Amino acid sequence: MEKIAVLVEHRQNEVRDITFEMLGKAHQLLEGGGEVIALFLGDVSQKGLLDQITPHAHRTVAYLDSNLKDFEPLRYQAAFTNIFENVDCQLILMGQTAFGMDFAPAIAAKWKIPFTTDVVDIEASEELHAIRQMYSGKVNAKVSLKPGEKMLCTVRAGAFPAEDIPTVSGELQEITGAIEGDFSARTFVEYLEAAVGDVDITQADIIVSVGRGIKDADNIPIAQELADALGGVVACSRPVADKKWLPKERQVGTSGKTVKPKVYIALGISGAFQHQAGMKGANTIIAVNKDPKAPIFSIAHYGIVDDLFKVVPALTEKVKELRG
Amino acid sequence: MEELQQPLPERLDLFTCIQCGKCTGGCPVSIKSPLNIRRVIRESTVREDLHIFFDRLEIWDCTTCSTCAIRCPRGLRPVDAIIGLREMMVEEGRIEKTIIDALDGAYKYGNPWGRAKNKRAEWAQDLEIPNALEMDPGQVLYFVCCAASYDPRVQVVAKSLVTVLRAAEVSFGILGNKEVCCGSEIRRMGEVGLFEMLMEENMKNFTKIEPKTIVTTSPHCMNALKNEYEGLDSEVLHYSQFVWRLIEEGKLSFNTEVPMKVTYHDPCYLGKQNGVFDEPRDVLKSIPGIELIEFGRCRENSLCCEGGGGRMWMEGTGIGKRLSEVRVEDALEMGVEAIITACPFCLLTLEDAVKTTGNEEKIKVIDLMELASMGLGVTPEVE
Ligand SMILES: Cc1cc2nc3c(=O)[nH]c(=O)nc-3n(C[C@H](O)[C@H](O)[C@H](O)COP(=O)(O)OP(=O)(O)OC[C@H]3O[C@@H](n4cnc5c(N)ncnc54)[C@H](O)[C@@H]3O)c2cc1C
Repeated sequence: MEKIAVLVEHRQNEVRDITFEMLGKAHQLLEGGGEVIALFLGDVSQKGLLDQITPHAHRTVAYLDSNLKDFEPLRYQAAFTNIFENVDCQLILMGQTAFGMDFAPAIAAKWKIPFTTDVVDIEASEELHAIRQMYSGKVNAKVSLKPGEKMLCTVRAGAFPAEDIPTVSGELQEITGAIEGDFSARTFVEYLEAAVGDVDITQADIIVSVGRGIKDADNIPIAQELADALGGVVACSRPVADKKWLPKERQVGTSGKTVKPKVYIALGISGAFQHQAGMKGANTIIAVNKDPKAPIFSIAHYGIVDDLFKVVPALTEKVKELRG
Repeated sequence: MEELQQPLPERLDLFTCIQCGKCTGGCPVSIKSPLNIRRVIRESTVREDLHIFFDRLEIWDCTTCSTCAIRCPRGLRPVDAIIGLREMMVEEGRIEKTIIDALDGAYKYGNPWGRAKNKRAEWAQDLEIPNALEMDPGQVLYFVCCAASYDPRVQVVAKSLVTVLRAAEVSFGILGNKEVCCGSEIRRMGEVGLFEMLMEENMKNFTKIEPKTIVTTSPHCMNALKNEYEGLDSEVLHYSQFVWRLIEEGKLSFNTEVPMKVTYHDPCYLGKQNGVFDEPRDVLKSIPGIELIEFGRCRENSLCCEGGGGRMWMEGTGIGKRLSEVRVEDALEMGVEAIITACPFCLLTLEDAVKTTGNEEKIKVIDLMELASMGLGVTPEVE
C-alpha cells in the first residue's frame, strides 16, 4: 500500500484523539514508505489546529471556509468533495464516532467506495484486511477486498495508541473555492455539554457497589476504602441513593446508570431485577451477601456468603498488601 | 401520524381549558413535585415555543395515572399534554440515557429492559403452556408482556395466574417468544412511532389466531390493547375481571382458608382509567379467611404508586417522599398484614417501599393472583 488518507476530526476547537490514533496506524501500515495524507475540513479561524497535524502527515490537504467550524453533515459532504478530488489513496480512515458514523456512509455511497465500520484493526500484508467485531465482541470478522479496490474504514476510538506518532516533514496544501448547495435540512444548533457532576460510574473499570446491607451512611467509607485500594469507584442500589447516603448519580439500575465495568463488586445488594438490569453486563461480578438465597448470586461469577463487615476490611487489607 | 403535526394545544383542544385547577388539585405528584399540570396547560397555549419545557425535569414526574383527565370538567386530557411534550423531546433526542436504553431495548428486543427475545418464555419452561399460534381461533390468549416475562418477582404472578386458570380448567395459550411489549409505557415515554410498531407486531399474531378473549397480567397492557390497539376485535380483560367471571360462572372456587387482614390498592390503569373497581375486590372476598379493610384513599381516589408513565426508567425530579411509602405507612396504620394489588408496577413499587421504610417484618405486598393461588392451596414461591 502506498497512500492512506486520514480525516481529521475536531470538536470545540480541539483535535480529537481519534485523529492521532488513525495517523499512528496509517504510519504503521506504510512501514516508513508511502504517504500519509491528512484531510482537514474546518473554519478559517481554526487554521491553528493544523499545526498539530502537519508534523504527522506527509501531506495535509485542508479546505478552510467560514461555515465549517462545527460539523454539519450536508455542508461537510459538499466541502469534502473539494478536497477528495485532489487525493488519490487506497485506504481512507475516519473515526467510528458520532461524527464519523454520520459522515462516512454518505462519502462511501457518493464515491462508491467499499466501506467497513467499527474497525478494531487493519492488516496490510499482501491484501488489505479490516478486522471488526461481531456478536458483542465474541467473534472477529476479517473483511477483505477485491484487488484494486479502495476501502473506507471507520475506526473504533481507542483501538490504536495516540502516542509516539512518527514525525515527518509534512507539506500543507490549502484548497479554496466555494461550496454550493442548500444545507439547511440539517444544521448545527448547539453543542450540549454533558453535565459535569460527581464521579462518572459508567466510565469506571472497577466498581464497588453498596446496597442496604451497608446499613448506614457512616459505613460507606468501608466500601470507599476497598474501591480506593482497587483504583475503582463506589456505586449503589436505589435505596442507598434514596436515603442520600450516596448521590443519585451513583445509582445503578433501570432508573439509574447502566454500567459495564471489568469488575463489579456488589456488597449487601440483593440483586433485584431493576438493579441487575444496570450491571449484568459487567465482565466479572463478585457478590458479598450474608443471604445465600439472594438473587445476586444467580448472576455473580464469584460469591462470598458472609457478613460484609467482616469480608470487606479483610479484602481491602489483602489488596493493599498485594499492591504493595 | 397526521395529527401529530398539529401543534399540541390544537391537537388536544387545550384552548378550551377554563383553568379551574381541578387537575392539579387531584394530581398525586403535585403534593411533592413542582409539576403543576394546570400551569403546563396554560403555558402551552400562550408560549410561542414549547422548547421551554424541555429543561423541566418535572415533566417526567407525571405517572400518567390520569386522575387529571377523570376530574376535568371540560373532558380534556391534561395527561396527554405531558405525553405530547415528551413526544417532542423524544423527537429531538432530548431525553435521558435511561429512557433511550428502554426505547432501544423495546425496539431491538421487544422489551424495555433489552433482555434476550428467546428468553421471553423461559418463565413458562416447565409449565407446558400451549403455543397460542397453534391453537384454533376463538380461544383464550394469555398476554403476559414484559415485566411478568422477565422480572423474577413478577414471574411469580404469571405462574400463579396459570395455577388459577388451570384450576378452573380454562384452555389457553401464550405467544411465547413471538410476543412483544404492548408498548403502553413506550407511548407514555413519548415514542408513538415505536408504540405503533409494537402494536403492529402483536396485531399480526392476534389477527392470525383471532382469540375470543385476551387476558393480561398488567392493567397497563389491558388498557393499551383495549383502548389503543386499532382493529382488535377480541375481548380484552385484565386477569381480575377474567377470574371473577370464572368464579361467577361457578368454574372456580377457593378451597383453602387464608386467614389474613388485608387492604387492596387500586392500580390506576385498572381502577381510575378503566373503572374496574369491583372485580378484584370480589375475587378477594371469595377467598375464605380474607378480611378486607379499605384504604381511606381508595377506588377513584386511590393514591398512585408512581410506577407508571415511564417512571420505571426515569425518576423525574425525585423530590419528596415516594407515594408508595406513604401508601405502606397508611396500610400499617390500618393494622393490615398485607397490601394486595393487581398490577406488576404497583407490586414492585409497594414492595420496594416496604423495604425502604424498614417494615419487612410487619407487612407484605401480595399480588391478587398469588393470593388466589394460596386460596387453592398452592403457596407461590418468591425468591
Ligand atoms: C420503579 C422502580 C425502579 C427501580 N429502579 C432501581 C434502580 O435503578 N436501581 C436499583 O438498585 N434498584 C431499583 N429499584 C429497587 C429494587 O426493586 C430493589 O428494591 C433494590 O435494588 C434493593 O436494593 P438493595 O439490594 O440495596 O436492598 P435489599 O433488597 O434490601 O438487599 C439488601 C441485601 O443486603 C444483604 N445484607 C444485609 N446485611 C448484610 C451484611 N452485613 N453483610 C452482607 N450482606 C448483607 C441482605 O441479605 C440483602 O440481600 C427500583 C424499584 C422500582 C419499583
